[in-house]
Amino acid sequence: MNVTVRVWRQGGAFGEGRLVPYEARDVSPDMSFLEMLDVVNESLVASGQPPIAFDSDCREGICGMCSLVVNGVPHGPDRGSTVCQLHMRRFKDGDTITVEPWRAAAFPVRRDLIVDRGAFDQIIAAGGYVSVGTGSAPDANAIPIPKDVAESAMDSAACIGCGACVAACKNASASLFVGAKVSQLALLPQGHPERVARARALVQAMDDLGFGNCSNEGECEAVCPKEISIANIARMRREYLRALVLGTDR
Amino acid sequence: MAPRRQYLFSTVATKVLIAIAGLSLVGFLCVHLAGNLLLYVGAPAFNAYSHVLISNPFIVPLELALLALFVLHVLEAVTMWWTDRAARPIAYQMTRSAGGRSRKSLASTTMIVTGPIVFVFVAVHVATMKYGPWYVADLHGTEARDLHRLVLETLRRPVWLAVYLPCLAAVGLHLWHGVSSAFESLGLHGPRLTPKVLVAGKALAVAIAAGFLSIPIWIFFFGGRS
Repeated sequence: MNVTVRVWRQGGAFGEGRLVPYEARDVSPDMSFLEMLDVVNESLVASGQPPIAFDSDCREGICGMCSLVVNGVPHGPDRGSTVCQLHMRRFKDGDTITVEPWRAAAFPVRRDLIVDRGAFDQIIAAGGYVSVGTGSAPDANAIPIPKDVAESAMDSAACIGCGACVAACKNASASLFVGAKVSQLALLPQGHPERVARARALVQAMDDLGFGNCSNEGECEAVCPKEISIANIARMRREYLRALVLGTDR
Repeated sequence: MAPRRQYLFSTVATKVLIAIAGLSLVGFLCVHLAGNLLLYVGAPAFNAYSHVLISNPFIVPLELALLALFVLHVLEAVTMWWTDRAARPIAYQMTRSAGGRSRKSLASTTMIVTGPIVFVFVAVHVATMKYGPWYVADLHGTEARDLHRLVLETLRRPVWLAVYLPCLAAVGLHLWHGVSSAFESLGLHGPRLTPKVLVAGKALAVAIAAGFLSIPIWIFFFGGRS
Protein backbone atom coordinates (compact mmCIF):
# COMPACT_ATOMS: atom_id res chain seq x y z
CA MET A 1 0.00 0.00 0.00
CA ASN A 2 1.03 3.62 -0.56
CA VAL A 3 0.26 6.43 1.87
CA THR A 4 1.20 10.08 2.27
CA VAL A 5 2.37 11.16 5.71
CA ARG A 6 2.28 14.84 6.62
CA VAL A 7 4.88 15.08 9.37
CA TRP A 8 5.70 18.00 11.67
CA ARG A 9 9.32 18.95 10.95
CA GLN A 10 11.08 21.31 13.31
CA GLY A 11 14.86 21.69 13.25
CA GLY A 12 15.31 22.31 16.97
CA ALA A 13 13.64 23.54 20.14
CA PHE A 14 13.48 27.12 18.94
CA GLY A 15 13.10 26.59 15.19
CA GLU A 16 9.98 27.23 13.17
CA GLY A 17 8.10 24.05 12.36
CA ARG A 18 5.75 23.00 9.57
CA LEU A 19 3.99 19.95 8.20
CA VAL A 20 5.98 18.29 5.38
CA PRO A 21 4.40 15.64 3.14
CA TYR A 22 6.32 12.40 2.44
CA GLU A 23 5.31 9.48 0.22
CA ALA A 24 5.58 6.06 1.86
CA ARG A 25 5.65 3.54 -1.03
CA ASP A 26 5.10 -0.25 -0.97
CA VAL A 27 4.26 -0.30 2.73
CA SER A 28 3.13 -3.67 4.07
CA PRO A 29 -0.23 -3.55 5.91
CA ASP A 30 1.43 -5.71 8.58
CA MET A 31 4.02 -3.03 9.37
CA SER A 32 3.57 -1.03 12.52
CA PHE A 33 3.11 2.70 12.15
CA LEU A 34 6.62 3.29 13.52
CA GLU A 35 8.11 0.76 11.09
CA MET A 36 6.46 2.70 8.27
CA LEU A 37 8.21 5.83 9.58
CA ASP A 38 11.47 3.83 9.71
CA VAL A 39 11.01 3.04 6.00
CA VAL A 40 10.40 6.70 5.20
CA ASN A 41 13.52 7.58 7.21
CA GLU A 42 15.64 5.07 5.29
CA SER A 43 14.70 6.75 2.03
CA LEU A 44 15.35 10.18 3.55
CA VAL A 45 18.80 9.13 4.74
CA ALA A 46 19.55 7.52 1.38
CA SER A 47 18.79 10.82 -0.35
CA GLY A 48 20.94 12.76 2.11
CA GLN A 49 18.12 14.40 4.07
CA PRO A 50 17.80 14.39 7.88
CA PRO A 51 15.51 11.59 9.11
CA ILE A 52 12.26 12.31 10.97
CA ALA A 53 13.06 12.39 14.70
CA PHE A 54 10.52 10.52 16.83
CA ASP A 55 10.59 8.75 20.20
CA SER A 56 10.23 5.01 20.67
CA ASP A 57 11.75 2.38 22.90
CA CYS A 58 10.11 -0.97 23.67
CA ARG A 59 7.73 -0.96 20.67
CA GLU A 60 5.49 -3.37 22.54
CA GLY A 61 3.13 -0.89 24.18
CA ILE A 62 4.49 -0.84 27.74
CA CYS A 63 7.24 1.77 28.05
CA GLY A 64 5.34 4.97 27.33
CA MET A 65 8.05 6.43 25.10
CA CYS A 66 6.24 6.69 21.74
CA SER A 67 4.21 9.85 21.49
CA LEU A 68 2.61 10.74 18.17
CA VAL A 69 -0.66 12.50 17.43
CA VAL A 70 -2.00 10.63 14.40
CA ASN A 71 -4.80 12.33 12.48
CA GLY A 72 -5.64 14.51 15.47
CA VAL A 73 -5.74 11.74 18.09
CA PRO A 74 -2.84 10.94 20.46
CA HIS A 75 -1.62 7.37 19.83
CA GLY A 76 -3.90 7.18 16.79
CA PRO A 77 -7.29 5.63 16.08
CA ASP A 78 -7.06 2.43 18.18
CA ARG A 79 -8.37 2.53 21.76
CA GLY A 80 -6.32 1.30 24.71
CA SER A 81 -3.05 1.12 22.80
CA THR A 82 0.10 3.09 22.18
CA VAL A 83 1.03 4.30 18.70
CA CYS A 84 3.75 1.63 18.41
CA GLN A 85 0.95 -0.95 18.45
CA LEU A 86 -0.87 0.80 15.59
CA HIS A 87 -0.58 -1.09 12.31
CA MET A 88 -0.80 0.10 8.73
CA ARG A 89 -3.78 -2.23 8.08
CA ARG A 90 -5.76 0.35 10.05
CA PHE A 91 -5.36 2.70 7.05
CA LYS A 92 -6.41 2.50 3.43
CA ASP A 93 -4.22 2.64 0.32
CA GLY A 94 -3.84 6.27 -0.74
CA ASP A 95 -4.61 7.73 2.70
CA THR A 96 -3.02 10.97 3.85
CA ILE A 97 -1.99 10.72 7.51
CA THR A 98 -1.12 13.76 9.63
CA VAL A 99 1.52 13.20 12.34
CA GLU A 100 2.21 15.81 15.01
CA PRO A 101 4.04 15.91 18.34
CA TRP A 102 2.30 16.27 21.74
CA ARG A 103 1.31 19.92 22.14
CA ALA A 104 1.61 21.53 25.57
CA ALA A 105 3.59 24.42 27.04
CA ALA A 106 4.93 21.97 29.64
CA PHE A 107 6.06 19.53 26.89
CA PRO A 108 8.30 21.65 24.63
CA VAL A 109 9.18 20.21 21.21
CA ARG A 110 12.89 19.34 20.99
CA ARG A 111 12.99 18.27 17.34
CA ASP A 112 10.33 17.14 14.84
CA LEU A 113 8.05 14.78 16.79
CA ILE A 114 10.13 14.56 19.97
CA VAL A 115 8.92 16.45 23.04
CA ASP A 116 10.51 16.86 26.46
CA ARG A 117 8.28 15.18 29.03
CA GLY A 118 10.57 16.04 31.94
CA ALA A 119 7.65 17.93 33.51
CA PHE A 120 6.17 14.55 34.49
CA ASP A 121 9.41 13.65 36.27
CA GLN A 122 9.28 16.97 38.11
CA ILE A 123 5.73 16.19 39.27
CA ILE A 124 6.86 12.80 40.60
CA ALA A 125 9.89 14.40 42.25
CA ALA A 126 7.53 16.76 44.11
CA GLY A 127 6.10 13.86 46.12
CA GLY A 128 4.91 11.01 43.91
CA TYR A 129 6.66 8.41 46.06
CA VAL A 130 6.66 6.85 49.52
CA SER A 131 9.41 8.29 51.73
CA VAL A 132 9.07 5.97 54.71
CA GLY A 133 11.89 3.44 55.16
CA THR A 134 10.32 0.12 54.25
CA GLY A 135 13.26 -2.16 54.90
CA SER A 136 13.46 -5.37 52.97
CA ALA A 137 10.46 -6.84 51.17
CA PRO A 138 7.86 -8.03 53.72
CA ASP A 139 6.10 -11.38 53.57
CA ALA A 140 3.46 -11.45 50.85
CA ASN A 141 0.56 -11.59 53.31
CA ALA A 142 2.02 -9.43 56.10
CA ILE A 143 -0.05 -6.40 55.08
CA PRO A 144 -3.61 -7.47 54.29
CA ILE A 145 -5.11 -5.42 51.42
CA PRO A 146 -8.66 -6.11 50.21
CA LYS A 147 -8.75 -7.53 46.70
CA ASP A 148 -10.86 -4.69 45.25
CA VAL A 149 -8.51 -2.07 46.73
CA ALA A 150 -5.47 -3.87 45.31
CA GLU A 151 -7.17 -4.06 41.90
CA SER A 152 -8.07 -0.37 42.02
CA ALA A 153 -4.51 0.62 42.96
CA MET A 154 -3.14 -1.61 40.19
CA ASP A 155 -5.47 0.03 37.64
CA SER A 156 -4.04 3.42 38.63
CA ALA A 157 -0.47 2.10 38.68
CA ALA A 158 -0.88 0.92 35.07
CA CYS A 159 0.00 4.49 33.98
CA ILE A 160 3.12 4.45 31.80
CA GLY A 161 3.56 8.23 31.88
CA CYS A 162 3.37 8.65 28.10
CA GLY A 163 1.58 12.01 28.34
CA ALA A 164 -1.23 11.21 25.89
CA CYS A 165 -3.71 12.53 28.49
CA VAL A 166 -2.05 15.94 28.33
CA ALA A 167 -1.84 15.78 24.53
CA ALA A 168 -5.55 14.95 24.17
CA CYS A 169 -6.86 17.46 26.72
CA LYS A 170 -8.11 20.68 25.15
CA ASN A 171 -6.52 22.49 28.11
CA ALA A 172 -3.32 20.41 28.20
CA SER A 173 -4.16 19.34 31.76
CA ALA A 174 -2.08 16.70 33.52
CA SER A 175 -4.93 15.77 35.85
CA LEU A 176 -5.24 12.15 34.71
CA PHE A 177 -1.51 11.52 35.21
CA VAL A 178 -1.48 13.21 38.63
CA GLY A 179 -4.78 11.55 39.56
CA ALA A 180 -3.36 8.12 38.75
CA LYS A 181 -0.21 8.74 40.82
CA VAL A 182 -2.14 10.18 43.78
CA SER A 183 -4.62 7.28 43.68
CA GLN A 184 -2.09 4.50 43.26
CA LEU A 185 -0.33 5.53 46.47
CA ALA A 186 -3.29 6.81 48.52
CA LEU A 187 -5.15 3.51 48.10
CA LEU A 188 -2.40 1.35 49.56
CA PRO A 189 -1.28 1.24 53.22
CA GLN A 190 2.31 2.11 52.30
CA GLY A 191 1.26 5.38 50.66
CA HIS A 192 -1.49 6.21 53.11
CA PRO A 193 0.49 8.19 55.75
CA GLU A 194 1.66 10.85 53.26
CA ARG A 195 -1.48 11.02 51.15
CA VAL A 196 -2.54 14.53 52.18
CA ALA A 197 0.83 16.21 51.69
CA ARG A 198 1.34 14.26 48.46
CA ALA A 199 -1.93 15.40 46.90
CA ARG A 200 -1.12 18.99 47.71
CA ALA A 201 2.46 18.81 46.46
CA LEU A 202 1.62 17.05 43.19
CA VAL A 203 -1.21 19.46 42.32
CA GLN A 204 1.06 22.40 43.18
CA ALA A 205 3.82 21.01 40.93
CA MET A 206 1.33 20.37 38.10
CA ASP A 207 0.09 23.97 38.30
CA ASP A 208 3.59 25.46 38.58
CA LEU A 209 4.72 23.57 35.47
CA GLY A 210 2.03 25.25 33.37
CA PHE A 211 -0.49 22.47 32.74
CA GLY A 212 -4.09 23.60 32.27
CA ASN A 213 -7.36 22.94 34.11
CA CYS A 214 -9.42 19.78 33.82
CA SER A 215 -12.73 20.36 31.99
CA ASN A 216 -14.11 16.88 32.74
CA GLU A 217 -14.42 16.00 29.06
CA GLY A 218 -12.72 12.64 29.43
CA GLU A 219 -10.69 12.83 26.20
CA CYS A 220 -7.72 11.77 28.37
CA GLU A 221 -9.46 8.59 29.44
CA ALA A 222 -10.43 7.85 25.83
CA VAL A 223 -6.86 8.08 24.48
CA CYS A 224 -5.07 6.54 27.49
CA PRO A 225 -3.26 3.41 26.28
CA LYS A 226 -3.84 1.89 29.72
CA GLU A 227 -7.49 3.05 29.83
CA ILE A 228 -7.05 4.78 33.17
CA SER A 229 -10.39 6.11 34.38
CA ILE A 230 -11.15 9.73 35.20
CA ALA A 231 -12.34 8.33 38.54
CA ASN A 232 -8.67 8.91 39.42
CA ILE A 233 -9.09 12.65 38.79
CA ALA A 234 -12.09 12.71 41.13
CA ARG A 235 -10.01 10.91 43.78
CA MET A 236 -7.19 13.44 43.33
CA ARG A 237 -9.72 16.23 43.98
CA ARG A 238 -11.07 14.51 47.09
CA GLU A 239 -7.51 14.04 48.39
CA TYR A 240 -6.74 17.67 47.62
CA LEU A 241 -9.88 18.87 49.43
CA ARG A 242 -8.83 16.71 52.37
CA ALA A 243 -5.50 18.59 52.34
CA LEU A 244 -7.37 21.89 52.17
CA VAL A 245 -9.48 21.01 55.21
CA LEU A 246 -6.91 19.15 57.32
CA GLY A 247 -3.75 21.00 56.33
CA THR A 248 -0.60 19.11 55.39
CA ASP A 249 0.85 18.43 58.83
CA ARG A 250 -0.86 15.05 59.00
CA MET B 1 4.78 24.11 53.06
CA ALA B 2 2.92 26.87 51.31
CA PRO B 3 0.29 28.78 53.30
CA ARG B 4 -3.14 27.28 53.00
CA ARG B 5 -4.69 30.28 51.23
CA GLN B 6 -2.59 29.43 48.16
CA TYR B 7 -4.70 26.31 47.80
CA LEU B 8 -7.62 28.44 46.70
CA PHE B 9 -5.75 29.47 43.55
CA SER B 10 -4.85 25.97 42.40
CA THR B 11 -6.46 24.40 39.33
CA VAL B 12 -8.36 21.98 41.57
CA ALA B 13 -9.72 24.68 43.90
CA THR B 14 -10.65 26.91 40.95
CA LYS B 15 -12.84 24.15 39.54
CA VAL B 16 -14.36 23.47 42.97
CA LEU B 17 -15.38 27.14 43.31
CA ILE B 18 -16.75 27.20 39.75
CA ALA B 19 -18.71 24.03 40.49
CA ILE B 20 -20.20 25.26 43.78
CA ALA B 21 -21.18 28.62 42.26
CA GLY B 22 -22.49 26.95 39.09
CA LEU B 23 -24.66 24.41 40.92
CA SER B 24 -26.03 27.19 43.15
CA LEU B 25 -26.96 29.17 40.03
CA VAL B 26 -28.67 26.07 38.62
CA GLY B 27 -30.66 25.90 41.87
CA PHE B 28 -31.67 29.52 41.33
CA LEU B 29 -32.71 28.75 37.74
CA CYS B 30 -35.02 25.99 39.00
CA VAL B 31 -36.74 28.39 41.43
CA HIS B 32 -36.86 31.10 38.74
CA LEU B 33 -38.46 28.70 36.25
CA ALA B 34 -41.03 27.51 38.81
CA GLY B 35 -42.01 31.15 39.39
CA ASN B 36 -42.14 31.92 35.67
CA LEU B 37 -44.44 28.98 35.00
CA LEU B 38 -47.09 30.97 36.94
CA LEU B 39 -47.41 32.99 33.70
CA TYR B 40 -49.40 30.00 32.43
CA VAL B 41 -51.80 30.39 35.39
CA GLY B 42 -52.47 34.06 34.68
CA ALA B 43 -51.77 37.63 35.66
CA PRO B 44 -53.12 37.55 39.26
CA ALA B 45 -51.06 34.50 40.22
CA PHE B 46 -47.87 35.80 38.57
CA ASN B 47 -48.17 39.30 40.00
CA ALA B 48 -49.01 37.96 43.45
CA TYR B 49 -45.84 35.82 43.35
CA SER B 50 -43.67 38.70 42.13
CA HIS B 51 -45.18 40.97 44.79
CA VAL B 52 -44.20 38.49 47.52
CA LEU B 53 -40.63 38.55 46.19
CA ILE B 54 -40.36 42.32 45.66
CA SER B 55 -41.84 43.21 49.06
CA ASN B 56 -39.70 40.68 50.96
CA PRO B 57 -36.95 42.33 53.09
CA PHE B 58 -34.67 39.30 52.51
CA ILE B 59 -34.73 39.72 48.74
CA VAL B 60 -31.88 42.28 48.61
CA PRO B 61 -29.34 40.17 50.54
CA LEU B 62 -30.39 37.15 48.47
CA GLU B 63 -29.92 39.12 45.25
CA LEU B 64 -26.49 40.27 46.41
CA ALA B 65 -25.52 36.68 47.27
CA LEU B 66 -26.69 35.57 43.83
CA LEU B 67 -24.70 38.36 42.18
CA ALA B 68 -21.62 37.35 44.19
CA LEU B 69 -21.97 33.71 43.05
CA PHE B 70 -22.44 34.84 39.45
CA VAL B 71 -19.37 37.10 39.56
CA LEU B 72 -17.30 34.37 41.25
CA HIS B 73 -18.31 31.84 38.59
CA VAL B 74 -17.45 34.23 35.75
CA LEU B 75 -14.14 35.49 37.19
CA GLU B 76 -12.87 32.00 38.03
CA ALA B 77 -13.91 30.71 34.61
CA VAL B 78 -12.15 33.56 32.79
CA THR B 79 -8.98 33.04 34.88
CA MET B 80 -9.14 29.34 34.05
CA TRP B 81 -9.62 30.00 30.34
CA TRP B 82 -6.58 32.26 30.40
CA THR B 83 -4.43 29.57 32.06
CA ASP B 84 -5.70 26.97 29.61
CA ARG B 85 -4.77 29.09 26.61
CA ALA B 86 -1.26 29.47 28.00
CA ALA B 87 -1.04 25.71 28.60
CA ARG B 88 -1.15 25.06 24.83
CA PRO B 89 0.45 28.01 23.03
CA ILE B 90 0.86 26.15 19.72
CA ALA B 91 -2.34 24.56 18.44
CA TYR B 92 -2.60 21.24 16.63
CA GLN B 93 -2.94 21.35 12.85
CA MET B 94 -5.59 18.67 13.15
CA THR B 95 -7.72 17.65 16.14
CA ARG B 96 -10.36 14.98 16.43
CA SER B 97 -12.28 13.57 19.34
CA ALA B 98 -11.04 10.15 20.36
CA GLY B 99 -14.64 8.98 20.82
CA GLY B 100 -15.12 5.92 23.00
CA ARG B 101 -15.60 6.93 26.62
CA SER B 102 -14.97 10.62 25.91
CA ARG B 103 -17.71 13.03 26.94
CA LYS B 104 -16.54 15.66 24.49
CA SER B 105 -19.56 17.34 22.91
CA LEU B 106 -20.62 20.58 21.27
CA ALA B 107 -21.61 21.72 24.77
CA SER B 108 -18.29 20.84 26.42
CA THR B 109 -16.20 22.58 23.77
CA THR B 110 -18.31 25.76 23.71
CA MET B 111 -18.55 26.50 27.45
CA ILE B 112 -16.38 29.60 26.94
CA VAL B 113 -18.77 30.74 24.17
CA THR B 114 -22.12 29.95 25.81
CA GLY B 115 -20.86 31.39 29.11
CA PRO B 116 -20.34 34.97 27.84
CA ILE B 117 -23.62 34.75 25.86
CA VAL B 118 -25.47 33.90 29.10
CA PHE B 119 -23.54 36.64 30.94
CA VAL B 120 -24.62 39.35 28.47
CA PHE B 121 -28.13 37.91 28.29
CA VAL B 122 -28.57 38.01 32.08
CA ALA B 123 -27.51 41.68 32.13
CA VAL B 124 -29.96 42.57 29.33
CA HIS B 125 -32.70 40.45 30.90
CA VAL B 126 -32.35 42.09 34.33
CA ALA B 127 -32.28 45.55 32.70
CA THR B 128 -35.47 44.93 30.69
CA MET B 129 -37.46 43.09 33.35
CA LYS B 130 -36.27 44.06 36.85
CA TYR B 131 -35.36 47.62 35.90
CA GLY B 132 -37.97 47.95 33.14
CA PRO B 133 -41.14 50.10 33.18
CA TRP B 134 -43.03 49.95 36.48
CA TYR B 135 -46.67 49.31 35.65
CA VAL B 136 -49.10 49.22 38.55
CA ALA B 137 -51.65 46.47 39.10
CA ASP B 138 -54.39 46.17 41.67
CA LEU B 139 -53.86 43.01 43.70
CA HIS B 140 -56.91 42.40 45.87
CA GLY B 141 -56.94 46.03 46.99
CA THR B 142 -53.16 46.44 47.41
CA GLU B 143 -51.03 48.20 44.85
CA ALA B 144 -48.48 45.85 43.24
CA ARG B 145 -46.13 45.91 40.29
CA ASP B 146 -47.75 44.64 37.08
CA LEU B 147 -44.78 42.57 36.00
CA HIS B 148 -47.09 40.32 33.99
CA ARG B 149 -47.94 43.18 31.62
CA LEU B 150 -44.24 43.98 31.13
CA VAL B 151 -43.42 40.34 30.34
CA LEU B 152 -46.23 40.09 27.79
CA GLU B 153 -45.40 43.44 26.17
CA THR B 154 -41.74 42.54 25.88
CA LEU B 155 -42.07 38.99 24.60
CA ARG B 156 -44.76 39.84 22.02
CA ARG B 157 -42.13 41.84 20.10
CA PRO B 158 -40.21 39.86 17.45
CA VAL B 159 -36.89 41.50 18.37
CA TRP B 160 -37.08 40.16 21.94
CA LEU B 161 -38.11 36.72 20.73
CA ALA B 162 -34.99 36.74 18.53
CA VAL B 163 -32.90 37.60 21.61
CA TYR B 164 -34.51 35.20 24.08
CA LEU B 165 -34.63 32.01 22.01
CA PRO B 166 -30.90 31.66 21.15
CA CYS B 167 -29.82 32.91 24.58
CA LEU B 168 -32.04 30.42 26.42
CA ALA B 169 -30.74 27.68 24.13
CA ALA B 170 -27.22 28.75 25.15
CA VAL B 171 -28.23 28.32 28.82
CA GLY B 172 -29.36 24.78 28.03
CA LEU B 173 -26.16 23.99 26.14
CA HIS B 174 -24.05 25.36 29.01
CA LEU B 175 -25.88 23.13 31.50
CA TRP B 176 -25.72 20.07 29.21
CA HIS B 177 -22.02 19.78 30.12
CA GLY B 178 -21.94 22.01 33.20
CA VAL B 179 -24.11 20.07 35.63
CA SER B 180 -22.34 16.72 35.41
CA SER B 181 -18.96 18.46 35.08
CA ALA B 182 -19.59 20.25 38.39
CA PHE B 183 -20.08 16.91 40.14
CA GLU B 184 -16.73 15.71 38.74
CA SER B 185 -15.04 18.94 39.84
CA LEU B 186 -16.24 18.32 43.40
CA GLY B 187 -14.78 14.81 43.30
CA LEU B 188 -18.26 13.23 43.34
CA HIS B 189 -17.57 10.25 41.12
CA GLY B 190 -18.43 6.61 41.55
CA PRO B 191 -19.43 3.53 39.57
CA ARG B 192 -23.07 3.87 40.66
CA LEU B 193 -23.27 7.67 40.96
CA THR B 194 -21.61 8.88 37.76
CA PRO B 195 -23.89 7.22 35.14
CA LYS B 196 -26.90 8.67 36.98
CA VAL B 197 -25.31 12.14 37.24
CA LEU B 198 -24.53 12.14 33.51
CA VAL B 199 -28.14 11.33 32.58
CA ALA B 200 -29.69 13.57 35.25
CA GLY B 201 -27.46 16.51 34.28
CA LYS B 202 -28.54 16.36 30.66
CA ALA B 203 -32.19 15.81 31.63
CA LEU B 204 -32.05 18.85 33.91
CA ALA B 205 -30.44 20.93 31.14
CA VAL B 206 -33.21 19.94 28.70
CA ALA B 207 -35.95 20.51 31.29
CA ILE B 208 -34.66 23.98 32.25
CA ALA B 209 -34.08 25.05 28.63
CA ALA B 210 -37.46 23.68 27.48
CA GLY B 211 -39.27 25.28 30.41
CA PHE B 212 -37.77 28.71 29.81
CA LEU B 213 -38.05 28.48 26.00
CA SER B 214 -41.73 27.55 26.17
CA ILE B 215 -42.65 30.91 27.72
CA PRO B 216 -41.52 33.36 24.97
CA ILE B 217 -42.74 30.94 22.27
CA TRP B 218 -46.16 30.64 23.92
CA ILE B 219 -46.47 34.39 24.49
CA PHE B 220 -45.31 35.34 20.97
CA PHE B 221 -47.29 32.79 18.97
CA PHE B 222 -50.31 32.29 21.23
CA GLY B 223 -50.46 35.63 23.00
CA GLY B 224 -50.03 34.33 26.54
CA ARG B 225 -52.73 34.59 29.16
CA SER B 226 -54.02 37.78 30.74
